[in-house]
Amino acid sequence: MTLLAEGLTKSFPGVRALSGATLSVRPGSVHALLGENGAGKSTLVKILTGVYRPDAGRILLDGAPMRFGSPLEALRAGIGVVHQERNLVPEFTVAENIALQHLPRRFGLVDRARMRAEARRCLDLLDLDLDPDTRVGDLSVAQAQLVEIAKALSVDTRVLLLDEPTASLTGDEADRLYRIVARLTATGHAVVLVSHKLEEVFAVADTVTVLRDGHSVAEAQPLADYTRDQIVDLMVGRAHAAVELGARTVDRGAVPALALTGVSTGHGHRDLDLTVAKGEIVGLYGLVGAGRTELARALLGLDTITAGEVAVHGTPARITSVGQALGEHRIGYVPEDRKGEGLFLEQPIARNVGVTVWRRLSRAGLLPDRAERDLVARYTDLLGIRLASPRQLAGQLSGGNQQKVSLAKWLAADCDILIVDEPTVGIDVRTKAAFHELLAGLAAQGRAILLISSDLPEIVTLADRIAVMADRRIRGTLPNTRAYDEMAQRVIRLVHAPLPQEVR
Amino acid sequence: MTAAETLTAQPVAAPRRGWRRTVRGSEFTLVTIALIGFVALTVATDGNMLTAGTLAAFFRFLAVPMVIGLAQMTVLAIGQMNLSVGVLTGFCAMVSAWLMLAAGWPAVLAVPGALLLGALVGLVNGILVVRTRINAFIVTLATMTIVDGLRYGVNGPRTYQDYSPGLQRLGQASVLGIPVVFIVAVLVAVAVWLFFARTVAGRHLLASGGSPFAARLSGVSNDRSILVAHTVSGLLAGVAAVLTLAQSGSVNATIGDDLLLPSFAAPIIGGVALAGGVVSVLGTSVAAFIVRLVDVTQAQFGINRRWVDLIVGAVVLGAVLVGAVRQRLSRRSS
Repeated sequence: MTLLAEGLTKSFPGVRALSGATLSVRPGSVHALLGENGAGKSTLVKILTGVYRPDAGRILLDGAPMRFGSPLEALRAGIGVVHQERNLVPEFTVAENIALQHLPRRFGLVDRARMRAEARRCLDLLDLDLDPDTRVGDLSVAQAQLVEIAKALSVDTRVLLLDEPTASLTGDEADRLYRIVARLTATGHAVVLVSHKLEEVFAVADTVTVLRDGHSVAEAQPLADYTRDQIVDLMVGRAHAAVELGARTVDRGAVPALALTGVSTGHGHRDLDLTVAKGEIVGLYGLVGAGRTELARALLGLDTITAGEVAVHGTPARITSVGQALGEHRIGYVPEDRKGEGLFLEQPIARNVGVTVWRRLSRAGLLPDRAERDLVARYTDLLGIRLASPRQLAGQLSGGNQQKVSLAKWLAADCDILIVDEPTVGIDVRTKAAFHELLAGLAAQGRAILLISSDLPEIVTLADRIAVMADRRIRGTLPNTRAYDEMAQRVIRLVHAPLPQEVR
Repeated sequence: MTAAETLTAQPVAAPRRGWRRTVRGSEFTLVTIALIGFVALTVATDGNMLTAGTLAAFFRFLAVPMVIGLAQMTVLAIGQMNLSVGVLTGFCAMVSAWLMLAAGWPAVLAVPGALLLGALVGLVNGILVVRTRINAFIVTLATMTIVDGLRYGVNGPRTYQDYSPGLQRLGQASVLGIPVVFIVAVLVAVAVWLFFARTVAGRHLLASGGSPFAARLSGVSNDRSILVAHTVSGLLAGVAAVLTLAQSGSVNATIGDDLLLPSFAAPIIGGVALAGGVVSVLGTSVAAFIVRLVDVTQAQFGINRRWVDLIVGAVVLGAVLVGAVRQRLSRRSS
């Protein structure tokens, strides 16, 4: 079955995720879909699988126009997907998971025999020797991954989309998976592979589409025509309108505000070295899942640090709770998920800003209304947060203003080390630029900022140095020249460099 | 500031759209319903409601439902429930009466004793929830059963009376025609409002209830919020026990049996979010008033008691539905 998606366009409030992207996939081919963070890969995958509806453009299957109202409709049309994150029910058996989308029924009850037979058939397609009655929770990560593929094939799937399928697999397991992919294409399936591991892409894919800024810069080209470097060039060579921010002077001779030496964490980070000086913005770049947020959480005491040393202003620190990070070390964390983790949506703005300082403001356990109001006014003014009234609920603000409120509470708490996680995701361009100026201004006032971002232009605009993280290790730290093309090339090469200790 | 706003720990935002104004006015609506109901009942009883005795009785028996509603509201603030408030009220009343009659304590000591016992059992509830990580519904279901047994254990099926003439006189006393027990309940409501609006602990409680993740990342200890909420809830059950001792001349092991539904009815009708993070002291108090109106109507017209339960139950269900719709609307707008 030939899949053709033409001129797909999709906008979210403030962001145009796709603008006229095209993807054409032939049966029997492994088609690599490549692009940097934010290039539109996930949006494209989600449109093809019926999660999103495109604003414009069309999808043709064997020439017939399709319109998917739901993931189930896409699946019935023959497009299966294995998402990057697991979508299995751990308490169910392998057979139950595979057949979940269309449980065979008899007299209104689940026909377990047919369900098992159906699962067996899908597992056989993959030549997988798994007992259909095993609980999925008892499987290894790799086995669960293969069960997901079996599940994607359980309907008469002709096009299979794999989104970063080897992200959590070892080399051997990945090889096994790709042998299965080869078998599927041999039987006429079309496979679309989204992966950031270029070695794998070159090993298994035959054609390639590269997305950049929401449109295709290479459309269904034979992969053999390209070298690795040419592909990287295609991925990053985006036109870049940089906001020029005044240069900051960073005193590198002084004791760094935050210094990590040989830090390992309970989440799998190994041997990290990283310093952030006063007045410096260090960008921590990496792909989604590289372990950057997890590192931030470990620094805040939400995860354990198993080895190495964290020093705050030169003094070794053992941080075990957010309260301690805030109270003793003045470290603040602006989380990525502002709605879920940054704000109390049902509470007035004033409460959101004041939450970190109530204890300090209180007199004999009572909070003076006046002191809180003054404090809130100071920081809402400073950050340019426009309020209808301080009693307005945080949930009623726009995304950009919500992010500012989420930041304001740490400024109110007088933090001098700020960890800012993906601050401008889902924020419109103009607010984004204003936010960048704000962060640069905060650094200029002497705060140390660790900026976690998957947005390369953002990092190149803001950071003094760029640390690149992949697979829970820091692959290198680069001084930022602020020349976008050059920095982008160097950063992307670090991200895609094979791990030295990973010998195949 | 309108009267409706002064007693609200959780002021709703500046109105921007039509429906928001309605949400903001949910307490205003309640006050209106309460007034209309009161006037209607007055008219229907040919003014009997306004005679000094009836009016005083009305407010005297409003005190306990109000306080018990606030006790439940405190735990709802963190998104949990406390099923043990009713029996705990009975248990505290029985122990306090025992202290006065059997142990010979004066009321000045037995009253703080009841409060302390309530706070202590609440604290135990909190510790169990924090330590076991078991749902508070299950934990308090268990402690409810245990406390129920203990309540009966104090004096078996027998009744305590004449435990403290002073306390009982206070229970019948009025200041300017307003029963003292009701004044105490209003003062307690003001204290609870102050707790949520102006104290660090109260604010932290609302933060934990509103978003435990955000609270944790803001340096708020959710475990401490759970302990504080259950302790305050127990303390308020203790207050309800003291009010019961004062207003009724005798107590036995059935005290508190009929308080569980009202404890939920008041905050839920009053607009408190079951998911936590939003409380309304005024709403809860006015809702208790409305439930009391239904009770009086039943007594005045000799309606079958079952009808009252049916009506209160239906109103609670309706209030929960309205709350769910309101939440969906606010989600959509944000």
